[in-house]
Amino acid sequence: MKKKKNGEMTFIQKVIKYRTLLLMCLPAIVFFFMFNYMPLPGIWVAFVKYNYRNGIFGSKFVGLQNFEFLATSGKLLSLTKNTILYNLAFILLGNLLAVFVAILLNEMQSRMFKKVSQTIMFLPYFISQVLVGILVFNLLNYDTGFVNGILTKIGVERWQPYSDPGVWPVLLVIIYLWQQTGYNSVVYFASIMGIDGEMMEAAKVDGANGFQRIRYIILPSLKPTIVILLLFALGGIVKGNFGLFYNIVGTNPILYETTDIIETYVYRATMTDFNFATASAVGLYQSIVGFVIVVTVNYIVKKIEPEYSLF
Amino acid sequence: MKKKLLAVLLAATMVAGLTACGGGNADSAGGDTSTSTEDTASEDGSSDEASSEESGDADTTAAADIDTSEHVKIVYMTTGDAPSGDKLDRYNEMMEQLNAILTEKVNAELETLFISWTDYLSNYNLTLARMDGTVDLVGTASDWLDAWPNSKNGAFIELSEDMLKTYAPKTWESVPAENWEMCKYNGEIYLIPEDNYAQWTNHGFTYRLDWAKEAGLENGVHSWEDMTEYFRYVKEAYPDIIPWDSDGTQYATMVGGWIASHSNYVPIDGINSGAMWGGTKDDLYTVYSPYVTDTDSLVEFAKMMKEWDEIGVWKTDVLNNTASTNRDDYRIGKVAAEQHHTQTWTDLVSHTPANKIYETDEDADSGFFYFGEESQNVVALSITHGAMAVSAGSANPERALMVYDLLRNDPECYKLFCYGIEGISYEVTDDGLRATPEGYNSETDNINGITNYWWGRNDDLEIRAADRDWDKIDKMYADYDKIKIEYPYGQFVAEVDDIQAKISNINEIHTNYMKQIAFGKYSGTAEEIVAEYQEALKSAGIDDVTAALQAQFDALYK
Repeated sequence: MKKKKNGEMTFIQKVIKYRTLLLMCLPAIVFFFMFNYMPLPGIWVAFVKYNYRNGIFGSKFVGLQNFEFLATSGKLLSLTKNTILYNLAFILLGNLLAVFVAILLNEMQSRMFKKVSQTIMFLPYFISQVLVGILVFNLLNYDTGFVNGILTKIGVERWQPYSDPGVWPVLLVIIYLWQQTGYNSVVYFASIMGIDGEMMEAAKVDGANGFQRIRYIILPSLKPTIVILLLFALGGIVKGNFGLFYNIVGTNPILYETTDIIETYVYRATMTDFNFATASAVGLYQSIVGFVIVVTVNYIVKKIEPEYSLF
Repeated sequence: MKKKLLAVLLAATMVAGLTACGGGNADSAGGDTSTSTEDTASEDGSSDEASSEESGDADTTAAADIDTSEHVKIVYMTTGDAPSGDKLDRYNEMMEQLNAILTEKVNAELETLFISWTDYLSNYNLTLARMDGTVDLVGTASDWLDAWPNSKNGAFIELSEDMLKTYAPKTWESVPAENWEMCKYNGEIYLIPEDNYAQWTNHGFTYRLDWAKEAGLENGVHSWEDMTEYFRYVKEAYPDIIPWDSDGTQYATMVGGWIASHSNYVPIDGINSGAMWGGTKDDLYTVYSPYVTDTDSLVEFAKMMKEWDEIGVWKTDVLNNTASTNRDDYRIGKVAAEQHHTQTWTDLVSHTPANKIYETDEDADSGFFYFGEESQNVVALSITHGAMAVSAGSANPERALMVYDLLRNDPECYKLFCYGIEGISYEVTDDGLRATPEGYNSETDNINGITNYWWGRNDDLEIRAADRDWDKIDKMYADYDKIKIEYPYGQFVAEVDDIQAKISNINEIHTNYMKQIAFGKYSGTAEEIVAEYQEALKSAGIDDVTAALQAQFDALYK
């Protein structure tokens, strides 16, 4: 550890100085070490013909054979595209709506109303995806669905969403937002709460109206939170939301064109022959793409506003 | 620099963190490594373990010498839903009696691990892959439960002759040498076949014979065209009934059935779920795939299924229908057909308490249209359609075999495990048939439907059920016996490592297109969708797979 010129501390000095903070981080460090670093050598399974008895490192090395299936399926591009586009929609619309809702909540005067609406919005988050899938099916199915029941009652022709791939991007985004917004808005709501009350007071005294306070105080104060959450989310942009898609779309091939993501495809193609190695190969592919995206986006953020970058 | 390094590490952490899903896999796999490296000192664990197994046998050649001083628990894994409520009580009562016998005879007790039907194949394979001694005895099947892939993956122990002779002597004697041959891979026995149990699991439609007669089909349904006519009549005459409340998973059996009915195709089991490769009755050892060659037939199929869809045979959203209870609905007359195998029909045709249709409608009768009837193309069941294997993760493989030997050959254990407690779950009539006793409740007391022991049933010990309509059943079996051929590929275990990627993609294509074709949900004409399907199969390399299988066939059979 060489001593930096302008009085910066060495790594060891820092450790000593911030020992309390480090100690408080310890559980998280241990957690990540145990669950994210220790299994890393297991990535090797993507390059072997896995035999249960010989274990990962005893199995035969097969090079890139496990990647062959995804590459030769001819679907890699469309799957990656679907996955990324859905995630982009989820991330962007999700955060936008969450910020919006958080601001609305903050502006509410009645404490009672605020609490009640927050709770109601929060609830869907706790419903399991399996149940959501069943709910959606019961709402939308052709023969006995709730929506179609109403449509026939008012004399409109029945709607057939389960045979129409076009409507699903919209439906899935709506379902996602319904489920996640309440939860996501909590983070933003908390950061709004953290804004210095004096600033608000000062703005009020200076005659700023509600919209101006939102525009000039709340939104700028939320910017770091938004950027960091976006960065975090972008790392997972190639990881599809398997629970959502699998439970809602199921295995209906008519809808695959617009709803098939990497996870669901891999699940169908490999889970039935139960191929660990292939599944891990796909996982590795997703991780690498995700890593590249995080590093790139972070680089861009750093160019624009170094303060907000992750590293 | 340091900061950069830290930063990259941090980013890696994050990405690794986001690998939640993949990480989960790696995690469990990682767990495996430690255990498996322990028991495999050398790289070639299989031979290692086998040899240690054999050396162990040398000490214990005679059954009397087997050391059973330690009481062990043997877990038996089967597909089926775990019992609950009263059902569980019945099951526990039976297990208590069974375990008393097992403890006395081999100082072991049995427990069942149920793999519920939802996603059973994934859960089944996942449990096997754990290899931590969770299971000992594994019910398996070469055609529907991945017996061979699991053997190759090292999930099952090699059963040496010595082992079988020592620990499962009765089973060893009762299975003829040629049947053991069918259970070998690379010269090692992995499976114990259920080879002394007569059953027919060729698929077809169970339908209401009385309604078929009303529809003008005096002799019942004997072709797919008759089936169309039958469905059309049912839909008109009984508008409240869904002719067949299918779920979206029946596509492969339906198209397979169609092909059997319209050709001499004999499929090879266990390559993929669609059984897309095989030979013909006249030329068994030339591999082909009818899904590529029989274009006209497939177009006709697509057209007929479109017609069925338009008739309204199934619900409009059949492809998303996962909650169908069609078989139970058939029993109470809410649907008019059930697609499953002959064995299921033998149940549905009989006047059992569960089959309420016969109580409410005295004219009710169930016919069976079996796939392949038109072309007289019926292949007898492979003896490994049900088989028992021993998990390589088992801590007590010897005792597991001893328990199995009892379950399969000991009359007392067999009856308990298959039928339950006499007097509660069944009773034997004067003419030696198995009847249901007073106060029997088919919902809860049917042990047969809980233990799902389909991996070692034994006709020597079977008691025919009194409530089965044996006249009809025996007649059907006799018909089959006249036209059947034996399953010809019992000794063939395909080597698929080099073609696995292609097969995976072919599976996916087959599933996606066939679901649309078999439920008439395709857009465009039948000719177009079949052409598109075959084009996709070809570009996924189906011809290469056929060629690879042919090469393996030539090596084995020529």
